[in-house]
Amino acid sequence: MKENEDIAPHVEDIARVLGDKVDKEEIDRELKQYLKEYRIPLSTAKQMLVKKYGGAPSNLGLGVFKTVEQLTPNEPSVDLLCRLISVNHKDVEVGGEKKPIVYGILGDQTASVPFTAWEVGDWQFQKGDVVRVRNAYTKEWKGQPQLNFGERTNIERESKDALPNFAPTPISDPKKYEVKDLKGGMSNISLVARVLFVEKRNVNVGGEEKAVFSGIMADKSGKVQFSAWHDFGLSEGDVIKVEGGYVKNWRGIPQFGFDERVKFEVLDTDKMPPLDELAERHVYQIGELIDRGGAIDVVVEGVIIDIKSGSGLIFRCPECKRVLQKGVCRIHGEVEGKADLRIKAVLDDGTGALTAVLGRDITEKLIGKDVKECREIAKKAMDQSVIADDLKDLLIATPIRISGDASFDDFGIMLIAKDAQMMSIDVQKEAKTMLDELEV
Amino acid sequence: MIAREVAWRIFAGEYNSSIHVESGVGERAPSYVVTPLGAKVNRLFVVGVVTDVENIGTDTEPMWRARLADPTGVFFLSAGQYQPEAAQILSKLKPPKFVAVIGKSRTYSPEEGVIYVSIRPETIKEVNSELRDFWVLNSCRSLKKRLEIVSEAMKMEKPSIENIISLGADRNLAEGIMSAIEHYDYIDIARFSSMLQDGLKHLLPEHQEIDGGEGVEAEERQNKESEDNIENEEKFLEIIEELDKDVKGAAWEEIMEMAQKKGLSRIQIEETTNSLLDKGLIYEPVLGRIKKI
Repeated sequence: MKENEDIAPHVEDIARVLGDKVDKEEIDRELKQYLKEYRIPLSTAKQMLVKKYGGAPSNLGLGVFKTVEQLTPNEPSVDLLCRLISVNHKDVEVGGEKKPIVYGILGDQTASVPFTAWEVGDWQFQKGDVVRVRNAYTKEWKGQPQLNFGERTNIERESKDALPNFAPTPISDPKKYEVKDLKGGMSNISLVARVLFVEKRNVNVGGEEKAVFSGIMADKSGKVQFSAWHDFGLSEGDVIKVEGGYVKNWRGIPQFGFDERVKFEVLDTDKMPPLDELAERHVYQIGELIDRGGAIDVVVEGVIIDIKSGSGLIFRCPECKRVLQKGVCRIHGEVEGKADLRIKAVLDDGTGALTAVLGRDITEKLIGKDVKECREIAKKAMDQSVIADDLKDLLIATPIRISGDASFDDFGIMLIAKDAQMMSIDVQKEAKTMLDELEV
Repeated sequence: MIAREVAWRIFAGEYNSSIHVESGVGERAPSYVVTPLGAKVNRLFVVGVVTDVENIGTDTEPMWRARLADPTGVFFLSAGQYQPEAAQILSKLKPPKFVAVIGKSRTYSPEEGVIYVSIRPETIKEVNSELRDFWVLNSCRSLKKRLEIVSEAMKMEKPSIENIISLGADRNLAEGIMSAIEHYDYIDIARFSSMLQDGLKHLLPEHQEIDGGEGVEAEERQNKESEDNIENEEKFLEIIEELDKDVKGAAWEEIMEMAQKKGLSRIQIEETTNSLLDKGLIYEPVLGRIKKI
């Protein structure tokens, strides 16, 4: 086994940290036991051993060499040979002080990964450099490893041919997807869709002014936001075929991206349903939205099973619009609050649950009263929470249809409502259809 | 991710036939009742008729028990001091009432291999028959989907979560179905298909009438059911109505007495009672008393 020969330097490393308190043969034996018998990753095993004998794991100097593809989240110490694909500088605020950091993407022939260097010192590496990194560590972000360079990390420049040239993504045939199946993190995608809307914007990318053409496109399965980083001459209504695009989560919603490297084609306009048909909102099951991770302009149908605190009559700070707690704004102190209405509801359709946020207009429509009337009612009752109680009586267990944009984060799906309507369904008609189907 | 558990719409008949529980590992990990058709239930949304409520605790520490009937069976609810809102509502409820319940699945296992499932309500609300019908339809949809996918999955040589997703399940359902296939020796598809039919027929007036419908099936049923029986049932309902003066229901002994006077035999009385109970037209609020719904 390859590990046998490789393990010796790590035994040395542990022995050094422990100050020769423990016999090297003993370390060697235990380390092997951890690795072979308990199958613990080398870096963790080293830390456990050092801790066991009362040493400080942070003094370990020798990381474990890995390729980018082998990286997993929360690795304490890892070595890499890689190429810097992008390098950006920025200042962040740490404990009230400005601090320069460097961030970007690096990769080797196996994969690429985002990195952040927290101790910049006299950073002298540029895009395209091949570097040997020792003692970096990884954290998890959205389930993916993210590489960090800290105080103990050592970076050295290697010659450019220490690493073979590699393409950023392995080249294979792009895979065809429908819009509804797009998820953040996908790449090399082939998509046929109609442009519903497009606009040109100028954005600042790494200090460079760049034009981006963004908008919404759709196929019969749903809609998706897109960003084209090249002027393809897109215009509203075009049916386009893009081969080699990717999907990124942007503000919790999957977004399709592509640039000049893709294969681009404008297709016959009759290859897709017409614009107005595609512009219709698509009904999603909440389970689908959870699996997919959000979508724009969706309709969901379900039952409200909980009204969360912070619903009903609320007062906002006139300065910053933050919701007041007992008449006090977190920033501006005691202020004369402006009355507002909103609902934070848990909507459940039997396949999943989401949090829907309904603003003033929709709340007024559902409750059949405006803010002023609600304020009067609360005044009479001398209790602001009566409105929330009314909402509970009205809405809990009530079938409702809500449309809006669904975004996804650590707390699940959040639907910012554009409209909401109580639902009535012809129960008998559907029951009859279903029964007929069964009896065929 | 701390996703909120989905509230399953599921019939009592399916929920109560669950014998597999998936217990969460670690702190605060949820546990699930896995039904034979792969619904992995931690939370439920059910609507039905509450037929009886009783306090099995004490006055100072009440524990309210209630039975909630749907077209396929009965859910058992219990709420105590840790569900103050639900307990409060149950304590004031005068059955029979249409009620919607959002609650958590509970299990009780008196011995190895035997489990009893119930619901611990989080929210209880009195509703109307339209919402009940809407719920029945939703539960039928959900049951139909699981029936279809489970039947397909059972035909697979090597079912896996990914394979089940390709049949049209979302990940949560696929995990449940996989678990059901692994833990249930026998999944009675025919029984759940007829449960689905019962649920749908419940929604259609032409299938609901006591004295039979117009369909071929209804005719067959009617032939089996002698005219006498229907007459008996009607007589019986009249008797109950007459005797049920103090709201608690008619006493069994009195019903017997009066029914025998009207020419019904003991066996006929028992058959009629069972048939009416099955049809959900009468219920037993307390042992020995019968009440019309």
